[in-house]
Amino acid sequence: MTRLPANFLLGAVLVSLMVGLAALSLVWTPHDPTALDIRNKFADPSMTNWLGTDKLGRDVVSQLMLGARNSMTVALVAVLMGGSIGVVLGLLAAGIGGWVEDLVMRLADLSFAFPALLFAIMLAAVFGPSLSNAVFAIAFINIPIFARVTRASANQIWTRDYVMAARAAGMGTFAISRDHILPNIAAAIIVQATIEFAVAILAEAALSYLGLGAQPPAASWGRMLSEAQTLMYLAPELAIYPGLCIVAAVLGFGLLGDGLRDITDPRLVRER
Amino acid sequence: MIKLDTLSVTFAAGSALRDISLKIAPGDRLGIVGESGSGKSLLASCLMGMAPDAATLSGTLTIDGVDMSDADEETWRPLRARRVAMIFQEPMSALNPLRRVGDTVAEPLRLHFGLSRDEAAKRVAELFAEVDLPNPERRARMFPHELSGGQRQRVLIALALACDPALLIADEPTTALDANVALQVTDLLVDLSEKRGMALVLISHDLASVARSTERVAVMYGGDIVERGGTDDVLHAPQHPYTRGLLAARPDPQAALRDEQGKRKRLPTIPGNVPPLSGLAQGCRFAGRCALERPDCATARPVPHGPRMLLCPVVEGAA
Amino acid sequence: MTYFILRRTLGFIGTLFAVSIVVFATMNILPGDPAMSILGLEATEDALAALREDLGLNAPVHIRYFEWITGAFVGDFGTSHSFRVPVSELIGERLGMTISLAVAGMLLTLVLALSLGIFAASKHRQIGDWGVMFLSQLGIAVPAFWLSILLVLLFAVKLRWLPPGGFAGWDDPVAAMRSLILPTVALALVQSSVLARVTRSSALEVMRQDFTRTARASGLSQRRILWRHVLPNALVPIVTIVGMQFAALVTGTIVIENVFYLPGLGRLIFQSISNRDLPTVQALVMLFAAIVVTANFIVDLLYVVIDPRLKARQ
Repeated sequence: MTRLPANFLLGAVLVSLMVGLAALSLVWTPHDPTALDIRNKFADPSMTNWLGTDKLGRDVVSQLMLGARNSMTVALVAVLMGGSIGVVLGLLAAGIGGWVEDLVMRLADLSFAFPALLFAIMLAAVFGPSLSNAVFAIAFINIPIFARVTRASANQIWTRDYVMAARAAGMGTFAISRDHILPNIAAAIIVQATIEFAVAILAEAALSYLGLGAQPPAASWGRMLSEAQTLMYLAPELAIYPGLCIVAAVLGFGLLGDGLRDITDPRLVRER
Repeated sequence: MIKLDTLSVTFAAGSALRDISLKIAPGDRLGIVGESGSGKSLLASCLMGMAPDAATLSGTLTIDGVDMSDADEETWRPLRARRVAMIFQEPMSALNPLRRVGDTVAEPLRLHFGLSRDEAAKRVAELFAEVDLPNPERRARMFPHELSGGQRQRVLIALALACDPALLIADEPTTALDANVALQVTDLLVDLSEKRGMALVLISHDLASVARSTERVAVMYGGDIVERGGTDDVLHAPQHPYTRGLLAARPDPQAALRDEQGKRKRLPTIPGNVPPLSGLAQGCRFAGRCALERPDCATARPVPHGPRMLLCPVVEGAA
Repeated sequence: MTYFILRRTLGFIGTLFAVSIVVFATMNILPGDPAMSILGLEATEDALAALREDLGLNAPVHIRYFEWITGAFVGDFGTSHSFRVPVSELIGERLGMTISLAVAGMLLTLVLALSLGIFAASKHRQIGDWGVMFLSQLGIAVPAFWLSILLVLLFAVKLRWLPPGGFAGWDDPVAAMRSLILPTVALALVQSSVLARVTRSSALEVMRQDFTRTARASGLSQRRILWRHVLPNALVPIVTIVGMQFAALVTGTIVIENVFYLPGLGRLIFQSISNRDLPTVQALVMLFAAIVVTANFIVDLLYVVIDPRLKARQ
């Protein structure tokens, strides 16, 4: 166990905690997160409400757990969507080369002009703010990131001897990409995905905070912070808990990704 | 001027320099030969106070009568470039790529001697002329990537000479250069040493350039100086088994290619490899590769004897 | 050299065009009726038709694009649906605020990141290095808006030293400065984390190179070597990252303006979204995207200026 780097272990702990809470929320929360109890608003932490209640009497812990579920889901969907498209594009670019590669890279460069927020703003202005728009925006900016990483790693594998041998033996681009390229770049992609997970959680929180993501009454860490900001003089603690959760989740995935990168260092891994 | 007395350098893995005793007087020209791993570069860096942080030094190192064995960075700094200067092996990467070479050479002049920009520029041009760089003014305005390897090495020599050091250490200055450029640089170093009365320590595994340019030579192996003496004497009549092996391994263009039976003659090499730092013996470090080895060679510390300060109990020393 | 600049400039212009097409296409794909959202559901068909004609909505798409882009060149972005004034006027009022915040944020970021990065590199493998690494890891994970809230909680709510938000105008310069302190700090703290790491690794890379050994052998002090030799060489990859940071700067400025209720372009965007004021949003998105593209273009050119080796290669 001690052979694993410290950042990996710490990240794994944080991630398990967050994912665990999110999964748990599917079947159980201490209270019904949507139950209003106005008379009990701004309650102090107690045995019933472990972290107290918010301005409508809703239990904070339950809301945080729902928020965890929300963040994990958004990040998962967005990274999966953007990642798959990006990887396919990257493989195409590396496998076919020529104008396909140029086109893919140009499009990738173009999309770097649009940070996720700008894209989400555009979608929100046209279609109205919603959680799915946020997911689309985050997915969209993941496409060029994965395309770049995939293409760079794949290009390296394409020059390896065993790939040249496979080509000489008549293997097609698609088959080579599937059997030789993909397994050997999988590590790099997974590392990138973990890091993008962290980025996605941050992005979702920012979008929800600004009102462009999860709409009330859906629970989301970002939205909780936005509400808490208006109540800063009344209940400052409410502004702290969701933020801590965000930091824990982002830090967790970030450290996990760093740790994975250290573990899968190409100098230590044998290629297939 | 410089005196080393039983200087030893140890790392966590092992002892990299053992009881080195050496004297360098003004105007001396000393060669240090040995393979990679013999400790010659480490020795050179000790003379500049630039040994790696992980190294532990013991013994004494005296410069101009001052004991520098425990000196810290701030004590060493005034000596560098002004008393002792050094040029390194890779001229290609030894110059700041973002600076014009003239500015790089001018920097210590302006810093240590307070010269104005123009005064320094004049001095730089003089130095460039001294190291045989044609068109010194134009050259000074160039960037490192615009110069060839040989030119860069000359710039580095000019930089080393800038503050008029009493000793110039050249650590493998010609290894990265073409053969005839290497020759020119070696001759230049000797010239400068003679003209300026500057001591020169030439570290090299190129025996030919050492033969051309030095009066005394020390042969190193595995952290020891195994033999020392006049360059001609040592190179023509080596006594230590390692030195003899080293010299026998040089290809001789005059020698016959085939032996009596018409078979191609093989170049005699020293069997085995230089052991890593952790695998160096307590006794004679050449043990295991030596033709004259005795059973207790690996464990018994040899004591230098004879006029050549031979580090070998088996061979009898002679002048 | 000039050929290189020319090529890059053409690429830059091409990218700007491509960006404008993307923005226009995205904002206008919906078949929805802007005229209706302006006049409301009860509007008569005639009024709607008249307004549509007025807004040029009946023209085919590429004509509308052409009108828009040529207008943009001279600074005419059309009229805001909600404010009933030219969009350019809205932008002009708020541009100063956003630029002040962005510039102040960038400057503070550079100062913090470069000094922390160099410091960490010089204290490699010691407490100083680990400290900076840990703090920067934290800084990357902390959302800018939450950090802002925390700063407000501490300095405005608890200590009451600084205002929690809002901006009174430039007439009182001291009050104006005070309003900008927390926003600038929040912006810079988050941004400098990434930049500090990059500075550190770049500096470490440079410190390993041979010319630092030459400098040391010339009797130069560690401090001089660090600042006069290592930093300039380390800047080369740093400049690239700074260029990439502009996207984050844009995002950060928008977010911070909304957190602190500063009357800048970031706030305007959100007001416009609430009002479904498409022309304004369109203009602002185009503006921000153009800033990012331009920043990257300038970085590309700067690269060649900084590193004389690249000049030779052109």
